[in-house]
This record gives sequence, structure tokens and C-alpha cells, in this order.
Amino acid sequence: MKPSASHRQIALAAVAGFGLAVWTFPVIWGLLTSFKTERDVLAYPPVWLFKPTLDSYREVLFGASSILPNIVSSSIVSLAATVITMLFAIPASYALARLRYPAKRASGFYVLVTQMLPPVGLIIPYYLVLQKIGWLDTYTGLTVIYLTFSLPFAIWLMVSYFEDIPFEMEEAALLDRAGRLRALWYVILPQVRGGIAVTAIFVFLNAWNEFMFAVVLGGNRVRPVTVAMFNFISVEQTLWSRLAAGAILAMLPVILIGIFAQRHIVKGLTVGAVKGGGRR
Amino acid sequence: MPGKHVPTLESQERRFALVLFVPALAVLLLTTTVPLVYLAWNSLYRLDLSMPWLSGFTGLGNYAKMGSDPRFWNSLLLTLVYTGSTVVLQVVIGLSLALLVLRFPRGQGLLRIAAILPIVLAPVVVGLFWRTLVLAPDVGLVDLVTRSVGLGSHNWLGDPQLALISVIAIHTWQWTPFAFLVLLATLATLPADVYEAARLDRASAWQRFRYITLPLIRPAIVMVLILRMMTALSAFAAIFAATGGGPGSATEILNLYAYRTSFSELNLGYGSSLAMVLMSITIAISYLMFRLRRARA
Repeated sequence: MKPSASHRQIALAAVAGFGLAVWTFPVIWGLLTSFKTERDVLAYPPVWLFKPTLDSYREVLFGASSILPNIVSSSIVSLAATVITMLFAIPASYALARLRYPAKRASGFYVLVTQMLPPVGLIIPYYLVLQKIGWLDTYTGLTVIYLTFSLPFAIWLMVSYFEDIPFEMEEAALLDRAGRLRALWYVILPQVRGGIAVTAIFVFLNAWNEFMFAVVLGGNRVRPVTVAMFNFISVEQTLWSRLAAGAILAMLPVILIGIFAQRHIVKGLTVGAVKGGGRR
Repeated sequence: MPGKHVPTLESQERRFALVLFVPALAVLLLTTTVPLVYLAWNSLYRLDLSMPWLSGFTGLGNYAKMGSDPRFWNSLLLTLVYTGSTVVLQVVIGLSLALLVLRFPRGQGLLRIAAILPIVLAPVVVGLFWRTLVLAPDVGLVDLVTRSVGLGSHNWLGDPQLALISVIAIHTWQWTPFAFLVLLATLATLPADVYEAARLDRASAWQRFRYITLPLIRPAIVMVLILRMMTALSAFAAIFAATGGGPGSATEILNLYAYRTSFSELNLGYGSSLAMVLMSITIAISYLMFRLRRARA
């Protein structure tokens, strides 16, 4: 090998390594901070070798400003939003992917447009209405507004999975006079089990990470974990290691999902634009 | 339907499709479109919860007020700067890195997992992490570096100009991995024989990139641009957590201005009209981008 070529390889590797460091370092630093005492956090120069402590985790889980109730809140809202979303999205996306009906293109485009609406435009009317009917700080109110971003997303992601099924399977089922509903239930749906799982995971993840709706429409009773992060930070002081520990705990589910569902992430994030752009 | 009429396969299919699709359509109409009509309606009202006695219909008064509202023009300019710079940075950095990584397959897996990390984190956590661990004066990572190389300590989120650069950096950090992953996946599907032919024709590396790679990946680039523009236009949680729109209104993009007007100052009428403007901009841009995508793809 020519020396210049290997030099180039090393330079390339260095740049890629830099990218790796930039993307992971804040999270790794957060992880380290969560095991430090408040004194070690503020030490200069920073201490790399320190006695790790679980105090912050203990405080965050069982202390005065425990985030456990918030994790429960987040779980309830996210699970409810996921179940309701999937119940509506699966049939709708099957129709959109496979069946002929009037104004199909227009309705598919409508779903796409609803996905693009800026959330701030929705939150003002929701705030006014929910306040009027006394649904502020309730699970119902928050779950309903979560449908606004999860339902269009789920419909378009599911469409791409339904489109992957070969037509012959459906035709065979229909020729057996199975009836459309039975064909859908017994033949088609088992084929998209994987797609349903991936879609549900994404809907859950997006709901878990949501912040703006939660901070305005939530309250003392329903306070998702993204809002609870502010327990540890204020103008006067920052509880560094507790904030880090809380953030790591709050983000643990999504980080695990991210690593586990790595291959599907890009597909999930590009949904809609790919299909919608090509279709019209 | 009259009894003598035997349903054809087609009408049967149509009916089945409507039964499946209409419930979701109804939910979307009720949860997104009806509230937006209510938003548009509210934008015609003076609706100030801190001064409720002044509430009433003003027609286009809220919109007229924007013309002489320097904070509105400032937020519009910031939205432009924020969206433009973050989107360009994401595509340029993401594409460069993808081209680079493509040349050595080993280690790609590791970089892919690292790239997933920023994407799945909640933006509010990203904003808080950066505000404390990365950008805090004296103890933040960036200050540790600048101090050790003799550039001194800076108030990265407290100084108006640095704060804008900081929130742009935060957004770029979180979303560049997306451009990187999508473009890497697209580059991996490009046909190798075209490049071989170009090499035989003695095309330089730049020529190969400019005349082969770029036209082939243009649809993917436009798609990344569309999606990331939408994200940047309605960016909220990370800025809210890092600066809250401040100092002053140094990082107050239109989205944040609409939020602060509505929920800090409780002026929901004017906030509604600001949200309407943001929504029109979002729809106009996505329309233009989709046309661009169709024309070039």
C-alpha cells in the first residue's frame, strides 16, 4: 500500500472518530455526571477518576422531587396515545395502501398536511377549549392532542408496510370467499405484525419525548417526565448530578429503543415525505 | 341501495374502504382541522387574559399590529436565520461525513449507533444537557476546551450573539445525524458501474461528485431539506430549555414568540395571529419544496 493512501485512511478515520465523539460525548458526560457528587461536578480541572455514587439516582427516584410519578404520567399518556392511534391508523392505512375509493389521493394528501402543522397553532385552541370544559391537567386532554401528531405519522408509516405485501395473498384469500374483513384479519394483518410493532414503538417514543403540549396542558396531576426535568434546574441553581441522573432515567427507554430499533429509525423519520412526494 | 341491484366487487370494495378510513378521517378533522378553524377565528379577536375587559372582535387588527411590532420582525428574521443556517449545516456536514464514511465500511456500524443517539433524545433534554454540561460557563465542556487553549471563558447562552450561535449549534447537533443516516443509505444504493465508467473516462473526483453523485442523490437531499425545515420552523423545546428565547429576544424565533405571547403574556388573540403566520409560512415552504422535488426528481 502506498504511504499516501494509508495516511488518507488515517485522516478519514480521524474525522469519523471526531463525529463519533461529538455525537456521543454530551451523553457520556451526562452519564459520568450522574454518578458524581455535586462537589465533583464543579471541580476544575474536571475529575475523571472519582468515587462513583448512586446518591443522585436515589434522590431522583425516592427523594423529595422524585420523578417516579412523572414517569407514571408519561407512561399512561404515551401508552394511551399509542393504543388509540394504532386502532385508527391500521384500518385507515390499509384502505389508503390497497383499496380504491373516491377522493383517495386527496384524503392521503390531507393526512400528510395535518402532519406538518406547527404545534403552536394547535395548542392555543386546545388550551382555550380544554380550559372551558375543565380538561386541563387531565390524561384525556393530553392524549387527545397527542393524536394530532401521532395519527398522521402512524398512518403513513403503516401504508409503507401494507404496500410491501404481495397482492397475490389478498387475492387468494378473496377467491376463497373469505370476505374482506376476514381476509384482512387472518391473512393481511399477520403479514404486517413487524410493521405494527415498529410503528407503535415510534408513536410511543414521540409521545414520550413531547414537551410543548405537556408543559401547557399538563399540571400538577398530569406532569410528564419531560416537564419534570425542570425540577432540578432554576435561575438560582442547578442540581447538576440530579439533573443528569433524572435525564438519563427519563431517556433510558428511548435510548434502548433507539439502539434496538436502529434499522427502522431512518425509515420512520422519512415517512410521509417519501410517499407523499412521489405520489401526487 | 335497491334490492335488485347486486353489489359489484367495486362498490363492495369502496364501501369497505370507507368503513376503514372514515373513522381516522373523522378523528383528524376533529382534532386538527376544527381547532385550526378556531385558531383562525381567535386571531380575529382581542383576547388578553391579563386584561379580559378589553376583549372583543378586532377583525384584522392583530395582523395590522404586526407591521409595527419590532419583536415580530425580529422573530421573523431569527426564524429565517435559524432555519436557513441549521438546514444548510445539517446537509453539508451530514453529506460530507456520509461521503467520507462510505469509503471505509469498517466502523460504520458504530457511527450509525452514535448517530441514532441525538435523534431519539427528547429535544428538551438535549437543550438542558447543552445548557448545563456543554455550555455552562466555567464547568461546561466547551468552556473547558476554550479555557485550556487560552481562549478564556464565555457566557455562551447569556450573550445575545453567542446565544443565537449556541442554539443553532444545538439544533445542528441533534439533527445532522438524520441527514447523515439518510444520505449514507442513499449513497450506498448508487450503481458502481457508472463510477467505473467515469473513472475510465478520467473524470476527477470532483467531477464524479458534481455530475454523477449529486444528481442521483438530489431527491434524497430535497427530502431531507423538507423534513428538517419543518422541524426547524417549529423548533421549541431545545431553545426553551437552553435560553427560553432570551437573553431578551435574542433567540426568540417566531414559534417561541407565539408561545410566549400566548402563555407568558396571556395575550391569546395576538398569539393566535402569530401562530397563523407561522402556519402559513410552513405550508408555503412545504408547497414550494414539494414542487421542487417533483420538478427535479
